[in-house]
Amino acid sequence: MTPPTPHPSALQSLLKTHTPATPGPPDIHPYKNLTLQIAHNLRHQHAWTRIRIHWPSPSPSPSPNTTSPPRPLISGLPPRRLYTHPDEQIELLQSHRKAGLSGIPEMKAEREWVLPCSVREKWTLGRFGEVFDSVGKVPGFGEGSVVEGLGDGGESEEAEGEEVEGEGNSWRTEQPKRILMAILDDDSTVVYYIVHDGLVKPRQN
Amino acid sequence: MATTSDSPTVQEPLPIFKLAQRYLVYDADTVTYLRREHNICGVLIGGLPQAPQQNVFSGLPLELLPEEARLLVEKRVAYVVDDVAKHRRAFLEDGMSAEERRAYQAALRKQGLAAAGEKNRKSEQRKKATLEKLGTENWNDLPEDMLKPRSDRRKRQGGSSEGSTIQPNDTPDDETLFDSPGAAALCKASTPHNARSAEPQPFFVTPTTSYPPLQSAAPPSESTHVDAPDAPQSYPIFRYLHDQGYFLAPGLRFGCQYMAYPGDPLRFHSHFLVNGMDWDQEFDLLDLVTGGRLGTGVKKGFLLGGQEEGGEGRDKGAAKSGDETSRGVRSFCIEWGGM
Repeated sequence: MTPPTPHPSALQSLLKTHTPATPGPPDIHPYKNLTLQIAHNLRHQHAWTRIRIHWPSPSPSPSPNTTSPPRPLISGLPPRRLYTHPDEQIELLQSHRKAGLSGIPEMKAEREWVLPCSVREKWTLGRFGEVFDSVGKVPGFGEGSVVEGLGDGGESEEAEGEEVEGEGNSWRTEQPKRILMAILDDDSTVVYYIVHDGLVKPRQN
Repeated sequence: MATTSDSPTVQEPLPIFKLAQRYLVYDADTVTYLRREHNICGVLIGGLPQAPQQNVFSGLPLELLPEEARLLVEKRVAYVVDDVAKHRRAFLEDGMSAEERRAYQAALRKQGLAAAGEKNRKSEQRKKATLEKLGTENWNDLPEDMLKPRSDRRKRQGGSSEGSTIQPNDTPDDETLFDSPGAAALCKASTPHNARSAEPQPFFVTPTTSYPPLQSAAPPSESTHVDAPDAPQSYPIFRYLHDQGYFLAPGLRFGCQYMAYPGDPLRFHSHFLVNGMDWDQEFDLLDLVTGGRLGTGVKKGFLLGGQEEGGEGRDKGAAKSGDETSRGVRSFCIEWGGM
């Protein structure tokens, strides 16, 4: 009698769910599990919601406006605002104080792009360029595919219809594009770095 | 020392002297002007004679990075003078005319005469002062050893000096330390004592600069092609940031190529740790993590950038400058995500 095998981990189960059906051509396979693992990390470690994966399309994209990303991207909604431009922060604080309020003003979370990478990869400026060229300032409404089995991966379509996060914020649309770069190490550590497509002065936090 | 006048009197294009692969500026006005008008700081590398044991504060000359020299040459603000070739031509290959030589020698002699005259005048004064002081006092009150060195010296001079008065040359004199001994000896030996008040022998002057004899080279005319100095592959991002109004300084202390200041480094903290590279040059993601961490830790952005290759040179980001050399340069700022 063999001892019972332990239950597969949550991540293992997620990867297994996605193994049979391949949503993209074979050449994106190297990034598929990586992307799913990052999505899993975002959902369960950082409590992101409305996570969608934007697979590269196998053929040249039909519409000229939205080019297909060179590699899979994730979009999602963090539980709180991820990035505030220093000048925006000053503006917010000033208007906050003018209104006679104290403390830190509430900021609406914005949808973010996430670029999954492995720490073993080599990277070039050109790849940054390609990725930025293929995305808009804010992940579009309803773009990308929902991740099955992730739990609240963006199924609530009607909730998303109410507010298109980040689009109303002029700071987001006037500043250069930004992407959250997720770098995965072998021990499943994920570190997140914000990359701006241009000169953006640093935050003073 | 730097002048305090509001507008340094320098005329573009300015000479940058190239010596041993370094680009140097020797003129304080030029240094001030470059910093004020062209956002070029460079690094002062000269030791201070007053404080030779430290290297925190340095003086002239100013060393420019090859990138800075190249930028100035490209903007026609400056031109590079090959100092070695120039000296060789002028001094070894008979590049100076006989007339120039004579004029220079005359100038040197005049300088030496002035120095000798000044020294004579000072020693006369000292002599007078000493005599006045000693005039009323009894010579017997003088301590024994005060006269000793004098007698020693008199022996050496072979009795050529007179005995009764205190000679100016015999008073303890710091200045003689710095006179060239040959010149001093020559001066003493050949000057009869009673001719002391007449015109003294000129000191030999060892020139410390070669730019009175050498004429400052004529700057290349507007039409001539100038060879811009070689600069490393990070030059495009250097030029791009400079065109955006940033001051750039060497970045060794933060482990990067340049530090970018939004204004004069004396007034601002730097904003970015800058690394430049080619568009398709591969780097480890670990380097990006390291830079991003370090940058965030010191409240700076980690900035990577380079010349975008291929295609129409889409001018993304903040590149709005009309300068064609920095067009198509793209930069990416990296900050820690905070999660």
